[in-house]
Amino acid sequence: MAYLNLFWPEGAVLPRMLPLDIFHIETGGCTGCALELRSLSRALVEGRSDIRFVSTPRQASLLLLTGSLTVEMAPVVELAWQAMPGTRLLAAMGDCALDGGVFTPNYAVMGGIGGRARASVVLPGCPPSPAEMLDALIRWRMQGEDGPPA
Amino acid sequence: MVTQVADLIRRGVPTECAGRFVLDAEEWHAMVAALSRSDLPLLGLWSDGMQAHALFMEGTRPLMASIAVTDGRYLALSPVRAGASAPERIMHDLWGIEAMGATGSAPWLDQGRWPVTWPLRDRPPPAPAPPDGVEFTDDATMVRAGGTVLGHGPAEGDFNAPFHLRLGLPGERIMQVQPRMGYAHRGLCARMRGATVAQAARLVARIDATATVAHQQAFAGALAAAGGKQAGEMRDADLFVGELGRIATHLDTLAVAAELLADGRCAMLAATLLERVRQACGDMCGSRLLFDVLPPAGAGERALSIPPELLAELRNGCRVLQRLFWRPRGMAMQARGRGILSADIARYWGIAGCVGRAGGAESDLRPYVSRPPRGWPEGYPTMAGDVAVRLALRLHEVETAVEMLSTLDPMPRLTVPMPGDDHGSGEGIGCVEGPAGPVWHWLRVENGRVAAWCCGDPSLSLFQALPQVLSGAVYEDVPLILASLGLSAASADL
Repeated sequence: MAYLNLFWPEGAVLPRMLPLDIFHIETGGCTGCALELRSLSRALVEGRSDIRFVSTPRQASLLLLTGSLTVEMAPVVELAWQAMPGTRLLAAMGDCALDGGVFTPNYAVMGGIGGRARASVVLPGCPPSPAEMLDALIRWRMQGEDGPPA
Repeated sequence: MVTQVADLIRRGVPTECAGRFVLDAEEWHAMVAALSRSDLPLLGLWSDGMQAHALFMEGTRPLMASIAVTDGRYLALSPVRAGASAPERIMHDLWGIEAMGATGSAPWLDQGRWPVTWPLRDRPPPAPAPPDGVEFTDDATMVRAGGTVLGHGPAEGDFNAPFHLRLGLPGERIMQVQPRMGYAHRGLCARMRGATVAQAARLVARIDATATVAHQQAFAGALAAAGGKQAGEMRDADLFVGELGRIATHLDTLAVAAELLADGRCAMLAATLLERVRQACGDMCGSRLLFDVLPPAGAGERALSIPPELLAELRNGCRVLQRLFWRPRGMAMQARGRGILSADIARYWGIAGCVGRAGGAESDLRPYVSRPPRGWPEGYPTMAGDVAVRLALRLHEVETAVEMLSTLDPMPRLTVPMPGDDHGSGEGIGCVEGPAGPVWHWLRVENGRVAAWCCGDPSLSLFQALPQVLSGAVYEDVPLILASLGLSAASADL
């Protein structure tokens, strides 16, 4: 029978964590960050985590972008953002999503979302590992619950 | 017939690039006419602004024909090679070069949102205002049949490079497929121009994360050829990282397919093995996805080793995966008969690689560029060309690659031949067998900087073949069929 962790070892009640539904968009890159996110999503599913990747923005509270944001993908990102309900937040993972990385702005690339919108979760790396991605998400959630971590 | 076309090409003016010949208009016309009676496979078609280049594969040797496009036109290859249609449209999008008599003229990459028209020209004209929306034209059969139109992509919440498919379903089965590309286009040809060799190598590693090693190896081969070095046999270290990349890509595809088929045990095992391989790559090369492992982007020399316990785990894992895959009601049985890509379709569109081999089309460069100690195993006898066979072939290639790794020198050292000096000039072409099929790079270096470059892999041909592959499929099978094909919009769009 599974043991439900209701308390910390010290006896304090565990904080109630709301599920985090993430909609991911690869906005034009090598898809390295997306492959690492896929590994993370498998681990989250296997671990029955309350952080989930969903298949529609209408169900998501966090829009997670990877890639250098091509000119063609900009309206797609905008549409996904508009389709998200209620309080919505933005995350950018990987060097390309932050500032374009190796794909600096040109006629086809806008050079990442980092300089154009305020992202709640920002993680550099080319690509960041799944462990780093999970760490960034958890730290951001804890920051939201208890203020910035020490 | 292959010999006849090859001879026609060789009658052109030879260039400093081994295997490239410049034809005049009359010789190009004769080549196009002869191609209609030949089955010489076309691997790529592109331009450097001054000439249009067609890359053919004569057996295992690349053969290039070039024609000057000073008046902005050349005779199209698409009437005799269907796979040339998308490259011709891409050339028009990027350079404004027109293919006379082409089978298609609609934009392939440029969907009207770029700030300039023909961006690779020296002085690209400004583009008109972007369109408000996307317009598709359904053919008469689809209009008569009526029914539903569904879209797939570019944002599905999955982890693939973006592209869009407009799928017409008069009933439960797909009748019409219209791909819309350009979402993943990053202007790589423009970025490469003027880049140093080291900068170019860093970009090359990031063309497509599912074939990082193959792109690096093909680029290194082209660079060596530009430096005047003969393409020799692949050494143990190159074979080592190449097979490691192949294992990772195939395991990822198998895990995705297993998830889509709701086979949790297969998905779990493939994902676990994949994670072990990625961790080993990270420990060994400093990059889980094998970015920048080959010079000049990577370190000059690196010792490669893989723990014997990981090899044993991979070998056992493959055995279990085979058993799970072929068990009653397993993945093989579920995926049988879906998304058929036959040898005829593969030859028609010029699709090589494991997808072509799964349909029965013979094409594998590996036995010709490398000779491992125990030789290459026999080919996998496959003919059906459906999802089940494609996945079975990938699983077989993982097993083969694991055996290959265990027979290689336990500590091969990784170095890559470089051109004579940093400021060399030259032109060369490199071709290797990537996880999805042949990956080729062509580049011209002038004073140590890239003057012109292009590359390709089977993804572009696969996207063109999608209407035939997806016709008759149900909508729910689309992600599975796409996953089994292993196509990547990142390398198709560049």
